[in-house]
Amino acid sequence: MALRSISRRFGSRVLSYRSSSVASLHSHATSFGFQQVKEEEKSKLVGNVFSNVASSYDIMNDVMSGGLHRLWKERLVGKLSPFAGMKHLDVAGGTGDVAFRIFDAVNSVKRRALRKVDEDSLEETQIYVCDINPNMLNVGKQRAAERGLGDNKSLVWVEGDAEALSFDDNSMDGYTIAFGIRNVTHIEKALAEAYRVLKRGGRFLCLELSHVDIPVFKDVYDLYSFKVIPNLGELIAGDRESYQYLVESIRRFPPQEKFATMIADAGFEKVEYENLVGGVVAIHSAIKL
Amino acid sequence: MFRTAARRLLGAGFTTSRLLRLPKPRPTTIIPYSYCTSSTESPIGNQSVNPNQSDPTATSSSTAREEGHRRDENSRKPRAEFEEEQARVLAASLRHVPRLGWTEEAMIAGSRDVGVSPSIVGSFSRKEAALVEYFMDDCLQLLIDRVDSGLDLQNLIPSERVSKLVRIRLEMQIPYMSKWPQALSIQAHPVNVPTSFKQRAMLVDEIWDTVGDGASDLDWYVKRTVLGGVYSTTEIYMLTDNSPEYRDTWAFLDDRVKDAFDLKKSIQEAKYFAQDIGAGVGKSFQGLMNGVMQTMSTRGGRSSAF
Repeated sequence: MALRSISRRFGSRVLSYRSSSVASLHSHATSFGFQQVKEEEKSKLVGNVFSNVASSYDIMNDVMSGGLHRLWKERLVGKLSPFAGMKHLDVAGGTGDVAFRIFDAVNSVKRRALRKVDEDSLEETQIYVCDINPNMLNVGKQRAAERGLGDNKSLVWVEGDAEALSFDDNSMDGYTIAFGIRNVTHIEKALAEAYRVLKRGGRFLCLELSHVDIPVFKDVYDLYSFKVIPNLGELIAGDRESYQYLVESIRRFPPQEKFATMIADAGFEKVEYENLVGGVVAIHSAIKL
Repeated sequence: MFRTAARRLLGAGFTTSRLLRLPKPRPTTIIPYSYCTSSTESPIGNQSVNPNQSDPTATSSSTAREEGHRRDENSRKPRAEFEEEQARVLAASLRHVPRLGWTEEAMIAGSRDVGVSPSIVGSFSRKEAALVEYFMDDCLQLLIDRVDSGLDLQNLIPSERVSKLVRIRLEMQIPYMSKWPQALSIQAHPVNVPTSFKQRAMLVDEIWDTVGDGASDLDWYVKRTVLGGVYSTTEIYMLTDNSPEYRDTWAFLDDRVKDAFDLKKSIQEAKYFAQDIGAGVGKSFQGLMNGVMQTMSTRGGRSSAF
C-alpha cells in the first residue's frame, strides 16, 4: 500500500543519510555518549564501562530507577508469555534479571499444574544468556548459584556479541534484549542477527530507555539524568564517567518511532511499542514471519 | 440495508463481505503494515493513541485496506501476513479446544500444527478471548454462507424462520459443548465484554435481516434485544441438556420464540386498548366540560357545579 512504500522510502532515506554522515568523517565513527569515537573503539570503551560497573550493576539499577526496573522487566516477560519447551535467547542479559524471570514463569507451580501431557512439552526449556562481557556473566552465574540454579541445565551462559551471534538460524522461539541495544555499535546488525536466529513466529522484544516528549516531565527527567545520576554513580559505584556515558547514550539512541522503523526494516512484522513512565522506558515488540 | 446500518452502528469489526473471501481482520488488530504503532496496554504508560480502535469511520479505511490487500497480493509479499498467520493459528487451535479448553495450551498446540513457533501466542492481545472471538466470527460467517447457499425459508412463518436460524447457529457449538461454559465466562470478562457484545449484536441483526422483517425506529432495538435474550437463554439451556440430539433445547427455543412473537402481539393489543380507552374517556370528559360551560353561561354569574 502507499503508506508502506512511503515508509520504505523513508527508511532507505534515513539509512542513506546515516551512511553519508558517516562517510563525511575520515573513518567510520559512532557515538559513545556525546563523544564521537571510532567504531573499533566503541566496543572497547563499552567493555570498560561494564567491567567497571558489573559488581554494582544491580544496586545502581535499583537506586537510579527507584526499584521500577523490576516492574519493567516483569512487564517485558509478561509480554513475552513464556511457555514450557521454549528456546529463548536473552542478549546483553549479563546479570540474568530477565532470564531468571523467564525461568520462574515457565517453572512456576501453577504452570506445572496446568501443563497437559503432550509429546511436545517433553522438550526442555532452554534459556541462553548471552553477553559480550565476561564480568557481567560471572555476576549472573553467581546469582544463579545463590538461587540454587547453579547446575540447572535450562540456563546456559554464553559469551558472545550481539552483532555476531553463535547460534543457528531459526533456532530460537524468543529473543529479548533489555537495556542492551543502546550499547551496540551497529544496531542494524544486532537486529539482523535477531531476525536470523528467531524461528518463524518467534518474537523479538526490546526493553530500552527511550525518549520522553511530555513537556514538564521531560525537563524533570533531564535534570534528574544529568545532575543526579552521575553523582549517584560516583557515590555508590565510585565511577562517575560510566554513568555519564549511560545518560548520554540514552539521548543518542533513536527515538521510539525511528527504532520501530529500524526493526521493521530488519524484516520483522507487527512492530509495536509501548511507553512506560511517559517514555522513560519503551518496550518494542515484533514477530518474525 | 440492515447490514450497512449495523456496520455503521457497531463499527468495522465485521468487514468480510460475502463476495470477497478475504481474511477477517480482527477487531483489535494493528494496522496491517509492518509499521509501528503504540499500544495502550500499560497501566503505567501515558500514550493513549490507538489508531486501530474500530469506530464508524473505520469502515472506509478497512475497505481501503481490503483493496490494498488485493493489490499487494498481486505485486509482492502481502503486508497483512501476520494477520493471516494469526487466523491460521486460531483455526488450527480450534481443533484442540474440545480436549484442552479455550486456553493458551490449545493455542500453543494449534501454532505447532501450523508450523509456527508457539511464541506467536504471546502476540495475541487477549489470548483466550482472541480464540473465542475468532470462533464467534467464524460461526457467523458460516451462518451467512448457509443462508446464501439456499436455505429454504419461504414456506415458514417468521417465528419458525427465526427458530430455524437460531438452531443452525447453536448447532455449530455442539462439538465444543463440553468447554462452552468456559467460553461464556471468557466472554463475560469486563475486558472482553465490548467485543462479545458487538459480536452477539451482529449475529442477532443478521438473523432479523435474513428473516426479512422490515422495522424502524424503536422497534429495531426492541426486536434485537428480545432475540438476544432468546438466543442467550437457549444457549445456556443447551449447556445442561442431555436429551438425544438436544431435542429439549429445540423445544425450549420454539416456545421462547413463540412467546416473543406473542409478546409483540400482546403489546400491540395493549396499545390499541389503551388508545380506545383514552378516546372514550376523553370524549366523556369533553362532554362533561361542554355541559358545565353551557350551564355557567345560561345561569349567568351564579356559580353551580364544582
